[in-house]
Amino acid sequence: MTLISKSTNPTKNDKVHRVLLGKKQILVTEEEPLLIQLERAGIHVEYQCREGYCSSCSIKLLWGHVSYPFEPLAWVQSGYLLACCAIVKSDIEIAFFD
Amino acid sequence: MSYSTFNRKHFDSMKEPMFFGENVNVARYDQQKHPIFEKLIEKQLSFFWRPEEVDLSTDRKDFQRLEEHEQHIFLSNLKYQTLLDSVQGRSPNVALLPIVSLPELETWIETWSFSETIHSRSYTHIIRNIVNDPTKIFDDIVTNEEITKRADSVSIYYDRLIEMVNLYNTMGMGTFNVPGKGDIEISMPKLKKALYLTIASVNVLEAIRFYVSFACSFAFAERTLMEGNAKIIKLIARDEALHLTGTQHMLNLMASGKDDPEMAEIAAECQDEVRQIFIEAAEQEKEWATYLFKDGSMIGLNAQILGQYVEYITNVRMQAVGLETCFATKHNPIPWINAWLVSDNVQVAPQEAEISSYLVGQTDNNLDDSDFDDFDL
Ligand code: FES
Ligand SMILES: [Fe+2]
Ligand SMILES: [Fe+2]
Repeated sequence: MTLISKSTNPTKNDKVHRVLLGKKQILVTEEEPLLIQLERAGIHVEYQCREGYCSSCSIKLLWGHVSYPFEPLAWVQSGYLLACCAIVKSDIEIAFFD
Repeated sequence: MSYSTFNRKHFDSMKEPMFFGENVNVARYDQQKHPIFEKLIEKQLSFFWRPEEVDLSTDRKDFQRLEEHEQHIFLSNLKYQTLLDSVQGRSPNVALLPIVSLPELETWIETWSFSETIHSRSYTHIIRNIVNDPTKIFDDIVTNEEITKRADSVSIYYDRLIEMVNLYNTMGMGTFNVPGKGDIEISMPKLKKALYLTIASVNVLEAIRFYVSFACSFAFAERTLMEGNAKIIKLIARDEALHLTGTQHMLNLMASGKDDPEMAEIAAECQDEVRQIFIEAAEQEKEWATYLFKDGSMIGLNAQILGQYVEYITNVRMQAVGLETCFATKHNPIPWINAWLVSDNVQVAPQEAEISSYLVGQTDNNLDDSDFDDFDL
């Protein structure tokens, strides 16, 4: 299954980024954290606190940049991101468990 | 080296390791070697709650209407949680305070332990409310074989560390014969290894062992049963999420060598043993699920689904401390649990706590289209 939103044209808005997840591609903005946008695209992501302190939403960041509006309390492993509070800053590729 | 409640040496606490450096003297928080522990303290304080604030009057009636095997599930989980929090309410203090070397970490340990005593008090609140004789329930915790088996595995690492630190504080380094236990070697690497394994086993206790019970409590609440209990469990789960982040930080800081280079070597050396601690705990929790459902499952949950959930959550927790995941279950078999675990609606009164997620295998005659809004394959 591939999800490509045709309604938004990335070239018109430089704040829209592509998130690659396996064969899926999801378009996200910098307005909200990644988690909520993935959920809206119908992708289940593990979560608990949704506030950056439990690390349940940790997913692999294969390449690309994310930033955190506040420093999360949970430890962020290198090569991972915390979906509940990460703001996507470039096109990125993510992965769940191997 | 004997412990002092106020170390008279003059030293720079910013240069001390988390553990096994100088005993802390001045409790100061204006400077912190690891500011994360100060942040955890602040967060934990902001979470403060009291069990008595949660009204359990409806739970009493609900409990009487539960089928016998459901009462068994409910009470067994309560007993197991009581055991876990009895251990957690004292052990971080007893085991870790004598060896901690940073004021912010010392205070985090005390704050953490204190919040566990609130959990313990909440179990008394719940038990008193649903049965006439709480003694029967509490007594069973020390006699029921299924529970005592677990008591052994949750306390063994703590107990060993405490014993070794006692020897270290009274006798110093060397090999000592302890009656009934044989020779025990005390050296810095041995002490650090005992500490590292203890922190790993505490991480497992808080990040995995509680979750079978959490799932059962929320499965009852999905049927609008025992909702007061579910509200308390939500508050406990919120605290536990913070506690597990505390031990994840300790483990990751140790493994990184940034805090204490020798600890990094020990962490690397212990990798397999730590993996084993996670795997063993997961297997024990799966066994526990089988025990819970021995006389019958509950709507929406059975031993198999719970077993898969244990595997899944174990993978999540292993990944968080940099270990390779080891179970085949890559998806959460009970995704509805997250809506209960999330803390943002913790303040909602129980009767309003309607969660629109679905329950695996639930038979519900009152479905309408909106019930499928959150359906997720
Ligand atoms: S959901 Fe807790 S850190 Fe993201
Ligand atoms: Fe607890
Ligand atoms: Fe805890």
